Amino acid sequence: MRQGARLRLVLRDLASGCAFASMAVSGQLPLWTLGLYAVGLVSALAGKRLFARRAKLTALLLLGVAAVLVVNVTAGTLNLVVAACAFAGLISAHRLLSAPDPATDGQVHLSGLLMVAGGAALSGELVYGFFLIAFGVLASLSLALGVVEASVPDGEPLPVRAVMPPLSVGVGFAVAGAMAFFILFPRLNWNMTGPRAAPGLGPATTGFSNTVRLGGTGTIKGNPRVVLRATLNPDPGVDALGAYWVGRTYDIFDGQEWTSAGGVKRMREPLLTLRPGGDNLVHQRVELLPAYGGQTLIALETPSRLGNAVANSTTGSRRAPLQEMYGGEARFAEPGLSYSYEAYSLPPGGSGDSFRRLPSVEQDALLALPEALDPRVSQTAARILNGEREPLAAAQKLATWLQREFTYTLELSGDHEDPLADFLFERKAGHCEHFATALTLMLRTQGIRARLATGFFGGERVNDAYILRAGDAHAWTHVLVPERGFVTVDATPPAHRPSQGSKWVQQVLALYEALESRWRNSVVDYSFRDQVDVARALVRPPKGSEKAEQRRLPPPRAWGAALVAGLVVYVAWRAVTRLAGRPRPLDATRFVDKVEAVLASAELSRRAEETLEELDARLAREHHPLTRALSPVTRRYLEARFGGRPLRQGEAKQLLRTLEDAVAQHTRLTARASRAS
Amino acid sequence: MNQPARVLAAAAPSPATAHTTMDRIAAELGRAVQGKEAQARLVTTCVVSSGHLLLEDVPGVGKTTLAEALARSCGLSFARIQFTADLMPADILGAQIFQAQTATFQFRPGPLFRQLVLADELNRAPPRTQSALLEAMAQGQVSLDGTTHALPAPFTVVATQNPVDFSGTYPLPDSQLDRFMVRMSLGHPAPEVEARLLATRGGAPALDAVKTVSSPEEVAQLRALAAEQRLDPAVADYVVRLARATREHGDIERGASTRAVLALGAAARAQSLWEARDFVTPGDVRAVLVPCWAHRVLLRSAVQGVAARDEAAHLLEELVRKVPAPR
Repeated sequence: MRQGARLRLVLRDLASGCAFASMAVSGQLPLWTLGLYAVGLVSALAGKRLFARRAKLTALLLLGVAAVLVVNVTAGTLNLVVAACAFAGLISAHRLLSAPDPATDGQVHLSGLLMVAGGAALSGELVYGFFLIAFGVLASLSLALGVVEASVPDGEPLPVRAVMPPLSVGVGFAVAGAMAFFILFPRLNWNMTGPRAAPGLGPATTGFSNTVRLGGTGTIKGNPRVVLRATLNPDPGVDALGAYWVGRTYDIFDGQEWTSAGGVKRMREPLLTLRPGGDNLVHQRVELLPAYGGQTLIALETPSRLGNAVANSTTGSRRAPLQEMYGGEARFAEPGLSYSYEAYSLPPGGSGDSFRRLPSVEQDALLALPEALDPRVSQTAARILNGEREPLAAAQKLATWLQREFTYTLELSGDHEDPLADFLFERKAGHCEHFATALTLMLRTQGIRARLATGFFGGERVNDAYILRAGDAHAWTHVLVPERGFVTVDATPPAHRPSQGSKWVQQVLALYEALESRWRNSVVDYSFRDQVDVARALVRPPKGSEKAEQRRLPPPRAWGAALVAGLVVYVAWRAVTRLAGRPRPLDATRFVDKVEAVLASAELSRRAEETLEELDARLAREHHPLTRALSPVTRRYLEARFGGRPLRQGEAKQLLRTLEDAVAQHTRLTARASRAS
Repeated sequence: MNQPARVLAAAAPSPATAHTTMDRIAAELGRAVQGKEAQARLVTTCVVSSGHLLLEDVPGVGKTTLAEALARSCGLSFARIQFTADLMPADILGAQIFQAQTATFQFRPGPLFRQLVLADELNRAPPRTQSALLEAMAQGQVSLDGTTHALPAPFTVVATQNPVDFSGTYPLPDSQLDRFMVRMSLGHPAPEVEARLLATRGGAPALDAVKTVSSPEEVAQLRALAAEQRLDPAVADYVVRLARATREHGDIERGASTRAVLALGAAARAQSLWEARDFVTPGDVRAVLVPCWAHRVLLRSAVQGVAARDEAAHLLEELVRKVPAPR
């Protein structure tokens, strides 16, 4: 195989791999299909075409695969679109492993196109865009090399240098086309299985469990994956939002782990009102991303109302009912891969009557202490408070003491019978749960009601939204203050509240998040109304310019934009008409190319400026032995090309065969003559 | 090929029979000017494409002989006009002669009223007389005193001029040159040909060997057939691209005119008959490009005469290499 051909096949296989990856990043394809395709791709790249023989027989394997997929779809465990995408990938894998020929090449590229279309339908995420563009580039390079290869006779090296400039232009077009495709597909609502329904890279890592257990061994890894994205109204407009996002609270501590009364308080409501609202509610439009992995709704402290919830799953997006649980938790009644909802929150600082609305069980639990609580806890609390009885002042005094005297660490201390005592009196180091537990229990020992709250702390601004990462998960204390209700007091040292990963990973992910967010805002969620708004803003006269307003003429920027748009349209139109007007190669021209290739094999190449008829005439003058075979071929070519008598079906092949026979005979005779001499 | 020409003429004309007839005419011309087969074919092509021929060469190489041989081989009526400085238009066109008996003017045709006219040393006549040929060459008719007189068909002018001795002559204006389909030179025969001439002919006139192998009707049929040859749009485009290349060439002051483009098309059509084809190929165009256009392009360089002709031919050959032929 020629060097160029091998390169073309590698490019083709990689293009197919990118097309498959554009679907796989959605995370919705069944694992076994990922495995099968991966094996096929690796084998193909290694040059092992396992199905090169008995292609039809091996194609029966696809029937088995199709049957499995049909069963899954029928059983409701697999979406039809996902199944179709998976099947397209496996067809492509089969073709990759078949003998490489022009038909197979075409099928691989066609299945690649189907797969990128499937990828658009499944996710339309930013990562999908990267794979789409990669597919465009690799597939066009492969196709272009195929064209070059077909036009260069066997035995001659591919003129790689000569074809690089047109190839570059072709790749440029491919990238532009892929980008257009990438932008267009989600805009046309081809994303049938719901926006951002996929968990994306890797499994979900965060979620809320029913208990919070202190202790354990190892190191808590800061996880920089984004789990929540929210827009706020009014928008505080800061880069780092120091806010507490509450998920649920815990009120019973048995010495080792926190639990709450649990159970469902209200069933399947479309809208939950947790506490009376006010005039200054903060509105949030929240998205829980697939990496979140839980069903608990998260909202800014202090949540008042939750609703308009939508759950996205592999089978579609639909409005989701909510459940209110004991412990102040609101939960999606149905599992999904990702969720979006709206929340209204009161400004932090207490919600008045929230305590009175608590059931008596929960009210009592706010002062409960574990049976085996180390007496030093109470003593220490009393010593620190030194008679302070006002709940908020006492909590802040204790929190200040904890922040001052204790060290923050993500290293776990191992399992202890009394992890709180270990934290307070032995190790004197711990993470947010230790600090929050210590504060809560120390308050309780002094007769002050308190509970543990968990959720997230922070909020990093990306474009117009705030994002929270898995590493922003946090625990703090709710202190019950008379007339104000629960007030947040955080005992964890401020610098360590969010626990992020390494700076490097964080920066890379921040860059990705910024791109992804811009893509989401500018493309996916960029509605027709937004476009109209932009157009209006463009033609609206600048503010404060009375003269301009009187003239009622669009400002210069509108004329400039119109000019640029006109130029772009003109250039595109010129390019299109030039491409459309380009003459297509004729059958006769393709025939003469082949004739020349055959002649070249007999070392009879025409000169640069010579036509075939001139070559024929020259050979006739030189009494070349191939003249007898070449002249009829030349005459027929001339008739077909310029005489209005096109080649009949199969005639070209027949003429070529005759010429090839003559050339082969001539070559044999020449070789024999040279041996004899 | 013992078949008489008259029988061929009676048959329906086709590219195959045309090829035979043209071969026969060229063979007769070859008898008159030996060793000049290519030139003989070119002259035949010129006649079949309804063109006029400008023979440019030093005296004594057979220009006149070639013209007479052409007339004889084709059976055309022939007149030789020796162009001199005192030659007047009426001397070639003819004149209104007063008839005393009837007291009327009667037109007496000049020597131009022949099917093949040899305008010998055309550049020696004053421009007025030269231009008297213009209408005749372009339209095959003569207008005199408001009356139009048709020339006999087929009508062909073969003009000669000496490219070296230009003193006291009137070089042909561009408009006149453009009306000649082909300009060619015969050149001296090869030494072996000259030796053979000495040995075999022994001084006998060359024309004696030339036989009439065609007829005016047959020439007219050939012309009609050539005019109907298929010219594929790709080939037409090729001709136009060649013309544009001459117009855009830095060394050429004035490129090929539209008349030159048409002339090249007509010559290529006639050329295609040599291969017994009914369509034109790029090869046909290339074969007649230099004799068709070398005298029609005006070079920027100051060279004159033979050097200018050679340089123009060289430039055109270079253009042929540069302008890709359709495939």
